[in-house]
Amino acid sequence: MKGVKISGRPLYLDMQATSPVDPRVLDAMLPYFVSQYGNPHSRTHLYGWESDEAVEAARGQVANLINASPKEIVFTSGATECNNISVKGVMHFYREKKKHVITTQTEHKCVLDSCRHLQQEGFDVTYLPVKPDGLIDLNELRSSIRSDTGLVSVMAVNNEIGVIQPMEEIGQICKEFNIPFHTDAAQALGKIPIDVNKWNVSLMSLSGHKVYGPKGVGALYMRRRPRIRVEPQMNGGGQERGIRSGTVPTPLVVGMGAACELAMKEMEYDEKWVTKLKDRLLNGVRSKLDGVVVNGSTESRYAGNLNLSFAYVEGESLLMGLKEVAVSSGSACTSASLEPSYVLRALGVDEDMAHTSIRFGIGRFTTEEEIDKAVELTVNQVEKLREMSPLYEMVKEGVAGLFLVFLQVTWQSTPLDEWWLKHVQRI
Amino acid sequence: MATAVQTPSRREIISLFRSLIRSARQFPDYNIREYTKRRTIEAFRDNKTLSEPSSIAAAFADGKSQLQVAKRQAVVYSLYAPKVKSIMDIKH
Repeated sequence: MKGVKISGRPLYLDMQATSPVDPRVLDAMLPYFVSQYGNPHSRTHLYGWESDEAVEAARGQVANLINASPKEIVFTSGATECNNISVKGVMHFYREKKKHVITTQTEHKCVLDSCRHLQQEGFDVTYLPVKPDGLIDLNELRSSIRSDTGLVSVMAVNNEIGVIQPMEEIGQICKEFNIPFHTDAAQALGKIPIDVNKWNVSLMSLSGHKVYGPKGVGALYMRRRPRIRVEPQMNGGGQERGIRSGTVPTPLVVGMGAACELAMKEMEYDEKWVTKLKDRLLNGVRSKLDGVVVNGSTESRYAGNLNLSFAYVEGESLLMGLKEVAVSSGSACTSASLEPSYVLRALGVDEDMAHTSIRFGIGRFTTEEEIDKAVELTVNQVEKLREMSPLYEMVKEGVAGLFLVFLQVTWQSTPLDEWWLKHVQRI
Repeated sequence: MATAVQTPSRREIISLFRSLIRSARQFPDYNIREYTKRRTIEAFRDNKTLSEPSSIAAAFADGKSQLQVAKRQAVVYSLYAPKVKSIMDIKH
């Protein structure tokens, strides 16, 4: 690849971007690529019937994992499409009466962009701020609700920092005001227990490739009682009850179903494993480096997503130095830009700390040796970069350098963050 | 099925375990190989405490079908193995 010389394929720690397909999932999919290629909507021959049966079985498997009815599942191309259908579809359907949407500042780009689109059409959108731990303030949500609020959309597990929003409480508030509640659960599916009734969601976006399934497939949960209605984006043959026309891709859907069934069986085991590795990673890094900050709440988070900031290190140099570890500074969608993540900025993380964030994504197939290797490489790289950093030098020199540091800090007018203050006091 | 399920013998169980480990080693992909090994060992360890004949038979049948999947997929993975190995397989 473009002048990058690597000795081997990097170890993969970017499970939030996508996960590898589980061999058991691929095994379920292959027959539908090879011999059972019928169109599931063909009603006149065996090819169609067997594909239809497979699609319906997969629908059941997906529904089972989230405690829904198979009739409430609509297959789509992915969570982005689900989010688009949910946000725009609901508001368009109820446009006569409802003009207001509530969402958060840390949502995925596709929700934010759909909201922006609605704003251009004259809808009103409230972007709820988050607390420094990444969670929303429930009272703030309550006070933002208006009589014409048509939708509340809050993601379950954040893709960048892994915090889990208080879904049950948000669901309760929405129930109280009788407002449809949509959640983007792409990062939550198969990782934390999901129950659509406990959460009281009306719509939920799910994705195949974040649960060791194939890319290009997702599922939208749509509550039947009380019924939620949307305006379809895709018009055509009326497949998926007219909500998403277009031939259902049998192999992909079968893969998503198999991935969900597997996730149901393996969730407990995976959770234990991922937590163990997360602790190993965090302890490993913390035992050798100071100035490491975990972004987002430490309690309410999914263990497989560890977003760390390293003080006095330039993020891009760190990522470039970590050639042998496939990690990202944030979401894959925005990894091309040098801008710090908008999610971290919404948390109130300082510009410089937001610039040095790295997201370590741990999954089912990650090994202990990989974690040790990642710790070793990260520590080496951070130490190397800090050696070059004049700022870090001064901090290490202690009191004598304190004045200079302050001078530099005030001169650059960089606000002092909490960590900074603590560090300076210790010196 | 109404017919009584046969409880597998100790030898059959050990043989299944060995077969699973052997097919795990066939995976060229570092992560899948390590996972299959680890998952096999831990599943057998967890099921050690089973005493009900029917649950032993069920676990055994599940293991057998997993073995079939592993055998098939080890072939598929070998057919499409990338030319460059994982760095975890190179430096040791």
